[in-house]
Amino acid sequence: MNNGKFMVRKAAVLGAGVMGAQIAAHLVNASVETMLFELSAEQGDPIATVAKAVENLKKQDPAPLSVPGKATSILPANYAQHLELLKNCDIVIEAIAERMDWKSELYKKIAPHLAEHAIFASNTSGLSINELAMAFPENLRRRFCGIHFFNPPRYMHLAELIACAESDTVMLDDLEAFLVTYLGKGVIRAKDTPNFIANRIGVFSMLATMHHAREFGLRFDVVDALTGPLIGRPKSATFRTADVVGLDILAHVINTMRETLPDDPWHQYYVVPAWLQVLIDSGALGQKTRRGVYQKVGKEIHVLDLARNEYVFSQGKADDGIKELLKRKNPAEKLAELRANPHPQAQFLWAIFRDVFHYCAVHLEAIADNARDLDLAMRWGFGWNQGPFELWQGAGWSRIRGWINEDIASGKSMGEAPLPEWVKQAGQGSNGGENGDITWGVHTTQGSYAPSSNTYRPRSALPVYRRQLFPDRLLDEQEQYGTTIFETGAVRMWHTGAGCGAEGIVDDGIAILSFKSKMHTIGSDVLDGVQKAIEEAERNWRALVIWQTEPPFSAGANLQKATERMKSTEPPSALEVLAKKLRKTAQSAVLKAARSLNLADTLMAGKLAEVEAMVAQFQQTSQSLRYSMVPTVAAVDGLALGGGCEFVMHCDRAVTTLESYIGLVEAGVGLLPAGGGCKELALRASQGAKDGDPFPLLRNYFQSVATAQLAKSAEEARELGYLRGADQVVMNRFELLYVAKAQARALAEVGYRPPLKARNIPVAGSTGIATIKGLLVNMREGGFISEHDYLIGTKIAHVMCGGELTPGSVVDEDWFLELERAAFIELLATEKTQARVEHTLKTGKPLRN
Amino acid sequence: MTTSQVQDAYIVAAVRTPVGKAPRGMFKTVRPDDMLAHVLKAVVAQCGGLDPAAIDDVIAGCAMPEAEQGMNVGRIALLLAGLPNNVPGMTINRFCASGLQSVAIAADRVRLGHADVIIGAGTESMSMVPMMGNKVSFDPAIFERDENIGIAYGMGITGEKVAQRWQVSRESQDEFAVESHTKALKAIEAGEFEQEIAPYTVEEKRPDLASHEIREVSVVRDTDEGPRRGTNAEVLSRLKPVFAASGSVTAGNSSQMSDGAGAVIVASEGALKRFNLTPIARFLGYSVAGVPPEIMGIGPIKAIPKVLKQVGLKQDDLDWIELNEAFAAQSLAVINDLGLDRARLNPLGGAIALGHPLGATGAIRVATLVHGLRRHKLKYGMVTMCVGTGMGAAGVFEAL
Repeated sequence: MNNGKFMVRKAAVLGAGVMGAQIAAHLVNASVETMLFELSAEQGDPIATVAKAVENLKKQDPAPLSVPGKATSILPANYAQHLELLKNCDIVIEAIAERMDWKSELYKKIAPHLAEHAIFASNTSGLSINELAMAFPENLRRRFCGIHFFNPPRYMHLAELIACAESDTVMLDDLEAFLVTYLGKGVIRAKDTPNFIANRIGVFSMLATMHHAREFGLRFDVVDALTGPLIGRPKSATFRTADVVGLDILAHVINTMRETLPDDPWHQYYVVPAWLQVLIDSGALGQKTRRGVYQKVGKEIHVLDLARNEYVFSQGKADDGIKELLKRKNPAEKLAELRANPHPQAQFLWAIFRDVFHYCAVHLEAIADNARDLDLAMRWGFGWNQGPFELWQGAGWSRIRGWINEDIASGKSMGEAPLPEWVKQAGQGSNGGENGDITWGVHTTQGSYAPSSNTYRPRSALPVYRRQLFPDRLLDEQEQYGTTIFETGAVRMWHTGAGCGAEGIVDDGIAILSFKSKMHTIGSDVLDGVQKAIEEAERNWRALVIWQTEPPFSAGANLQKATERMKSTEPPSALEVLAKKLRKTAQSAVLKAARSLNLADTLMAGKLAEVEAMVAQFQQTSQSLRYSMVPTVAAVDGLALGGGCEFVMHCDRAVTTLESYIGLVEAGVGLLPAGGGCKELALRASQGAKDGDPFPLLRNYFQSVATAQLAKSAEEARELGYLRGADQVVMNRFELLYVAKAQARALAEVGYRPPLKARNIPVAGSTGIATIKGLLVNMREGGFISEHDYLIGTKIAHVMCGGELTPGSVVDEDWFLELERAAFIELLATEKTQARVEHTLKTGKPLRN
Repeated sequence: MTTSQVQDAYIVAAVRTPVGKAPRGMFKTVRPDDMLAHVLKAVVAQCGGLDPAAIDDVIAGCAMPEAEQGMNVGRIALLLAGLPNNVPGMTINRFCASGLQSVAIAADRVRLGHADVIIGAGTESMSMVPMMGNKVSFDPAIFERDENIGIAYGMGITGEKVAQRWQVSRESQDEFAVESHTKALKAIEAGEFEQEIAPYTVEEKRPDLASHEIREVSVVRDTDEGPRRGTNAEVLSRLKPVFAASGSVTAGNSSQMSDGAGAVIVASEGALKRFNLTPIARFLGYSVAGVPPEIMGIGPIKAIPKVLKQVGLKQDDLDWIELNEAFAAQSLAVINDLGLDRARLNPLGGAIALGHPLGATGAIRVATLVHGLRRHKLKYGMVTMCVGTGMGAAGVFEAL
């Protein structure tokens, strides 16, 4: 493999425990056929244990597999029968229990069977990679290293890569490229120190949180309320995370730190708190035993109250004043006020920030190459919005340094070790600071501070990173996306221009459109922007890519605007009259109906007409994406709901990350897809029809739309019919734009012509509607859906089947579009749909009525 | 007892396959036409003296006569069974009563004097052809009149409607289901089904991907697959209602989806003599009646009195009633409404345990009844069932 490129034809994972099986799952997500090894079952079929582990993967939530069908590419194997097949594997990942003796025994057993070129990596989270390497034959050690995945590996972006002394550098680079592009991971090179980077800092952060919670007398649920989203960390915060991870695992990691870090200045804190040990001894290990720090009692969540030594109803909330304080945008003010505020919750928060900053500064040099690596590890591995150094720097480097020093001096801080010298002096003359006394920080435009070399380390120059046109940005890194072509209040059209990221794709003529709206929702202003961008692209560019600078792709049409227009000063009767009128004229466009209404209803009719105009505009925009003279590519990451999904469906091509959640979910708010979504599915059903009958496919599509089904991965979106065969799935979201642009270029290079308009679409017609009604009637009678759900379902059926036509009648796209508009307005005119929309806008949850 | 006819019709042989679970049971790869051919061969083999060329007709019931059981499965299967090609065949459909209807038509042809030997049969693979068929399609006209919407109702919803209207509790349904399993298991152990079951050898060819060879697997199936040990009220009470969010009908107290076939030879007195056949039972009469589609499960409430009147028997005269357990809910509604004697009802278990291969069930249960009556030295017996879209059917037999 030293000559030529590194390829993974096949992989093996040793150990079918939680991590092993999930790593195998993610490998097959990436279309890498993977052998999953486990000890032979004691009786019966020798591969029964591992086969069961594979079967379990299909049931877990969140799903380790992108679609259950991928499980067939995990090949169950055992050490007794299948070791010789290891020779076909280019990469072998060991993920057995964390026991040096077991691992060492296994290494001896498998070493003779490895291919000469194969990479062998351990997914240990606690053991020393260099010590493990000793268990490996000397001649093979250059192919050995550690890859530390985070649980759950499909969803956690971080993979720490740890070299042993003999690890071959080319091998490491190859492996990093593989992990980044093929598995979609964010790779951080960690040094071979206990718990590596993210767990070292993360576990200390938990210990510090426990320490100060006790010090300030805060109950666990209050601590979780404070240490979750309020400070930019996941909802599970501190103790809920501990329950999920497993209290025994947490204790194990703490003990590992105690044993392996005898000289650490914080060594005295590496102790399992007495209360935690009591829980573990009593069998309360967290989620897996249904009792830990928290316990579910009926539908209530109860939390352990140490003061009373019993579980009490959990209603822990952060103090309102503290909450307000944490909402402040300016981090400098925020931290200053926390420190100054005598409220125990404020003091607690300042204390954990301070001690984590302190700990990171002291240990940075030993555990990581530079500050960026540490910050990104915490973002990617623990889901923090910002790493500790970013937070510190954002709040003013020197000032915080001063405060930490004061607290060390006064004995307030947990650790007594002085801040390293570099905190004060290194990096002078860099980009300068922001507010007041600040002169510098660890992150600069040149790079991030690396204590060992006393330099600012630029980002990795590995070729794989040329694919990341806009990598995950850190504080103070330039946040500018290319050169603007035009910008409105709602969208920005731009291009990467010269000198951006990847070499060789300068001035490629590909224009990019990004939305500026919140959650990238689509209102009239965005629609105007898209239309304008298409015109501009047709005039001056080779192709148009729709890409958002951060997920989601789009949360759909802006319903706020639609319902605002519906809010009436008229008595509700006007609405009802109109609704009735409209229901009768389901086939005709709304305006026709509106015109025939009497004067008293004109106002309402006007509003509805306005909404209809917006729906029509939406449809026109979708159609423009489809039929423009330049190729259009949707680059999707995260949610693409409703109108967002319709844009995806109408672009010539979609390039999506695996973690794209796509669906026509309008039915959830009592509406139906009316931006071309129903039309598009009807069209696809007719194109995919066997023997000319579109109904079998249509029925599946109907089910997805009527149940507002959201695909849980790009692969599932393909199975549901939202994505097409030629649409591409990208594993790493930071490579999305690069691939989308490449697809756009490829489409343009072919000599792009828009598809010919579909003019003879066979419909399922009245029989199709009746057959779907047959399904709906049973659900209604069974009480599974409400009367209003039934109405929505029949409307969707009506549109998707092309209306009450004789089956086999042939229509064009406009026919469907008109049906979409009429049905959308009809539903919007019902009180129940309006209630649904308002409820969802207010609470973010669906309303069943 | 009266019969209005020119001659009597006798059952001279009755066989069935064991019943497999669908869609993942022991017959999931066995074609319904093959199952039918199998029972046709077996039933003819039971009549040693019978000249197959003298069979006047083969009538096969099938509830979803399409795909693997499509075209005219009755005619195709008799040819596959090796019966002479002068024997004609047809397929008839009255949903769940199809197998009983085919026996009734066979008997009636004989009773009229227009035929001497006819096979009434039934076959259904619910593994291969799903409930409602491969292509569901409703007539828009169904939704034009409210009283017709019941046509679109799934059977489960009709079960719920019956449970509501006849006030059949969840507990009584579950208890009824447990009883069905208990009786069926006991019957299997006692060998009650041995006479009627023609064991079926399932032959499968599976690829051995390692050696690239075809592995031939052959398994003889001679026992019904449905009855489940360990079924008790507690286990059943944990199942969620399938058809209605707050309903009472569950997978545990409904009939099972199944694969199977059955065949019955009906002969005239002349044929008995000519071919030296021994009659097992005499066919007495058969009735069908319509009820509202949305409560189809109560069909027997109308059909049973109708057939009893026809044959001049009282309910009490019946020693054995095979009531098809489409749902425990409708079974109990029928039992309670008519005051049927549960001690004489489904003594060997019913469809909740034994399964319900729609169009075959009638012929299968006739085989159970006529052999059972004789074994237990009883006289009058009935096979009855409810029928989708709102019907009931009932046939009466006298053991000889």
